[in-house]
Amino acid sequence: MTAMPISYNQHIRRFQSLIALLVLCIVLSVLTDKFFTAANGLNVLKQVAVNICIATGMTLIVLTGGIDLSVGSVLALCGAFTAGLLQNGIAIPSADLFIGFTILGAVLVSVIAGALLGLFNGFVITSFKVPPFVATLAMLTIARGFTMLYTGGHPISNLGSGFAFIGTGSIIGIPVPVWIATAVVLLAVFITQKTRLGRYIYAIGGNEIAAKLSGIRINRVKLMVYSIGAALAALGGVIVTSRLDSAQPNAGISYELDAIAAVVIGGTSLTGGKGSVWGTVIGAIIIGVLNNGLVLLNVSPFWQQVVKGGVILLAVVIDKIGEKKE
Amino acid sequence: MRIKRSYWLALFCLLFFCHCKNKGTKHGSKKIAVVVSTLNNPWFVFLAETAAAKAKTLGYDAKIFDSQNNTALESDHFENIIVAGFDAILFNSTDANGSVANVLKAKTAGLPVFCMDREVNSNDPTSQILSDSYSGAVAIGKYFTQQLHKKGNYVELLGLVGDNNTWARSKGFHSVVDNYPGFKMVAQQSADFDRNKGLEVMESILQAHPDIDGVFCGNDAMAMGAYQALVSSGKAGKVKVFGFDGAEDVITSISENKVAATGMQFPKVMAETAAEFADAYIKGKRDFPKKIPVAVELVTAKNIGDYIAYGKK
Repeated sequence: MTAMPISYNQHIRRFQSLIALLVLCIVLSVLTDKFFTAANGLNVLKQVAVNICIATGMTLIVLTGGIDLSVGSVLALCGAFTAGLLQNGIAIPSADLFIGFTILGAVLVSVIAGALLGLFNGFVITSFKVPPFVATLAMLTIARGFTMLYTGGHPISNLGSGFAFIGTGSIIGIPVPVWIATAVVLLAVFITQKTRLGRYIYAIGGNEIAAKLSGIRINRVKLMVYSIGAALAALGGVIVTSRLDSAQPNAGISYELDAIAAVVIGGTSLTGGKGSVWGTVIGAIIIGVLNNGLVLLNVSPFWQQVVKGGVILLAVVIDKIGEKKE
Repeated sequence: MRIKRSYWLALFCLLFFCHCKNKGTKHGSKKIAVVVSTLNNPWFVFLAETAAAKAKTLGYDAKIFDSQNNTALESDHFENIIVAGFDAILFNSTDANGSVANVLKAKTAGLPVFCMDREVNSNDPTSQILSDSYSGAVAIGKYFTQQLHKKGNYVELLGLVGDNNTWARSKGFHSVVDNYPGFKMVAQQSADFDRNKGLEVMESILQAHPDIDGVFCGNDAMAMGAYQALVSSGKAGKVKVFGFDGAEDVITSISENKVAATGMQFPKVMAETAAEFADAYIKGKRDFPKKIPVAVELVTAKNIGDYIAYGKK
């Protein structure tokens, strides 16, 4: 069990992705004068906010040596749930009961619903020893199915200007999603670096058996990280729904891959135990800058996919070379 | 222990299938299968549901199969449908060429196939009721040139780059607009027919090209996303947005002068015609027109009163 959650080597690795981000920004600034502007900077941050939320949760999960493939579907389900609660509330005709929801109420209930889905993932993983990949793959399909059932396959639109503030408003010039993402990141950094839970997360990913022998209640920690991960995906769902003023049943498809890519580019090891939330934030921003830059340069959509894949590959290869040198 | 468990599992599966089978053959009525390319898009959900509903009102058991944009999965569906003894297939293909073999399989098994919206490149379907994307995009292109007074900078948002409809619409649009030297396409990007992607791509494009006059989008979901990007950058109203499909949000937006125009497709007409044809086939009719094109109509602020989502009033 490591006493210090972040070692010297991890600092270097964090540095690596930061350098990559700076190089990318410099190259794009040279190629187009539209890139390095305050407006575009905020634009990129606004666009990566959702991925940062999801990827932060994913980082905690990956640090324990797990993975969560269901985040995209959980995002869609909870986004739709928020929209449904706002528009229709919950009506139980048999009991002659109707519950309406305020914006805050709908958001809270959806995030809690997300956490419960994550708790279920964690339950299946810890109680039946199902590999996380398989358990969350099943949830990916189940949650998508429930989204379809709940929405009937149709978007839920026109949710009101109050709700739209979450996704489109700004406070002192900075978009609300960026504030939310910042709060999420700071909280996650605090958890991983300053709390017992954080140390346990690293310990389990580093060596699960050793962690168990030293008295850590592994299952409890795992239940916790999967719940947090899914709750953050649900929060992402709230932001996406609010930005679009519409809950799309097909929202969030392949978001899990973007989140995993951010985690990996940020230098977190997929086998667990090594990495940091900060790295993931930089990884997510790299992906966002790349998406934005390729559109600014009007690169053909065919080539964009090749370039994005190439960057992920490059990031991991550099990381592995660094690992060998250690 | 492990063996025992797998026995239980097998027994469970058996019970499950028996149950399904009972349910399916309980009444002696004939069965119609609706195979749809995807249920991840409201437009196709509407198409599939309308087809199934029409088949049910005509007195058939109807079941919807979702191919999830995957031709291989579609092939599995066809095999299952043939084995399960369905009497007709209402078909929305995943791919014009990739689905040819599947249709042939059904034809060989003696099952009639009625294509809806998307064409299959063979003579095997009993009849094809098709949406004319290309001509619809030509009509939008003409209206686009009028609205922008034959000159200006514009952006095109493409759908999924691997999809036939993406290119049929793009080509139809460009066949008109490219004739005017005053037009300049400053960006052509894909947003995967997705509202969120449309919003994000448009936000980025607006950074590079703040002074544009119009946006042509390959479907209505992207048009709504692009419109939202224009709203948040304060350009709504100055930039004209053009969509394609006739989805609910865009129909509302056209009536509020937020979106300039869309190409109305008629999923209801196509789905119901296909179901009626299948009914006629089962009752013994054999001569059907091989292809029935269903025109895509231009919807603008002028004629919006005649339309509702996915059809005419």
